Amino acid sequence: MFRTLKPFEYFEPKTIKEAVDILSTHDSGTKILAGGVDLVPRLRKRQIHPEYMVNIQQAKEMNGTIEDTAEGLRIGALASLRSIELSPLVHKNYFVLHEAIASIASTQVKTQGTAVGNLCVATPASDVAPALLVLNANFRVVGPSGEKIVPVENFYLGVGKTVLQDNEIIVEILLPKLQPKTGGAFLKLVRTAADIAKVNAAVILTMIDDTCSDVRIAVGSVAPTVLRVKKAEEILKGQKVEPKLIEAAAKTAAEEVKPISDLRSTAEYRRETTLVLVRRTLSAALERAKA
Amino acid sequence: MKKEVVNLTINDTPYELLVEPQVTLNELLREQLDLTGTKISCAAGECGACTVLIDGKPMLSCCTLAATVKGKNITTIEGLAKNGELHPLQKAFVEHGAIQCGFCSPGMILTAKALLDENPNPTREEVKSYLAGNLCRCTGYVKIIDAVLAAASQMNKGGK
Repeated sequence: MFRTLKPFEYFEPKTIKEAVDILSTHDSGTKILAGGVDLVPRLRKRQIHPEYMVNIQQAKEMNGTIEDTAEGLRIGALASLRSIELSPLVHKNYFVLHEAIASIASTQVKTQGTAVGNLCVATPASDVAPALLVLNANFRVVGPSGEKIVPVENFYLGVGKTVLQDNEIIVEILLPKLQPKTGGAFLKLVRTAADIAKVNAAVILTMIDDTCSDVRIAVGSVAPTVLRVKKAEEILKGQKVEPKLIEAAAKTAAEEVKPISDLRSTAEYRRETTLVLVRRTLSAALERAKA
Repeated sequence: MKKEVVNLTINDTPYELLVEPQVTLNELLREQLDLTGTKISCAAGECGACTVLIDGKPMLSCCTLAATVKGKNITTIEGLAKNGELHPLQKAFVEHGAIQCGFCSPGMILTAKALLDENPNPTREEVKSYLAGNLCRCTGYVKIIDAVLAAASQMNKGGK
């Protein structure tokens, strides 16, 4: 095992524009550094070999502010996982995101690591990504040609791959307001508390009386990217939500996923437990929507 | 490679240092400053042995570039005892046999300090959850959790 990192050139841009300029000039072999909990171990393991490191923590437009706005919640890209987990606004209005981050074990990783960093790593086992998928989150992205909004739903292309170009930077996460009578839930299955998910699931469910008016279900670690299981959602929409229907939706979700066997689990086990987790998250979300 | 000037405070002592950008905070502490109380074990952000407090928050020195902690206030295990007197957490770890091989202890004690600074009266479950990122291969954790709870109760009584 290597102990030290290979040398690289280090930049500390004072503005986003300067950061984007540096990334554009050295378009290959650059890496953006924020919390570093994923990046630094990968450098040490020689999995990546960037020549240029761009620390975006000092850029003046970058922050970790979490605030309510007219459109919903705004989370600055430097917000640590722990600051989002502990945010009263997240706990009150976007409980599914709180629950997802609370399931990550290490205090240090959550204190240092950012949610945006976790998302940009694009692991299908991310616990944050399914929660953001069901919350219909958007990213505000800055690049050489200005700003754009990217829905998290269109963000992932494959394992470790996103639509972001090398010279684009996420500056904030935007969470739209939720309807009244909406409940959310997140669950995951792990070997030990500190391990990465074998399977995870997040649900957002909105009820009007006894009828499901809207539902979104996302699962992780069961396909190359985190995944919305939309056939399962269709089973519930506009219907009276009863245990039998939840079971049918969970069964459909398990048919929609494309799991692989790896060191954490087998494909068969992941498919079986997708059914269980989707059933349980739906039931929990239903209780919370009614409450 | 161009070196970075890093001004920072470690255990109440100000430093002005020149570091290469690829040097981690762990290497800076252990190799440049000889503060070898901070350990390194997995070097991958999984075990917590390298934990230090940065502006009071528990972070992993193996995953932190030294160049990124300019202006910060770092506390390592060497900074906990005051005037030759051990911190209540250190005393409690000794008294409860929460130290066996000792390799996880600096990180464990600093994480526990961050917990007690945030929450002076944690439950047993809160201690377990907060320390989940610190692995110990000797104790089975029971004595560590006992020690943290004992230190909390001692500190709440105003004990030193």
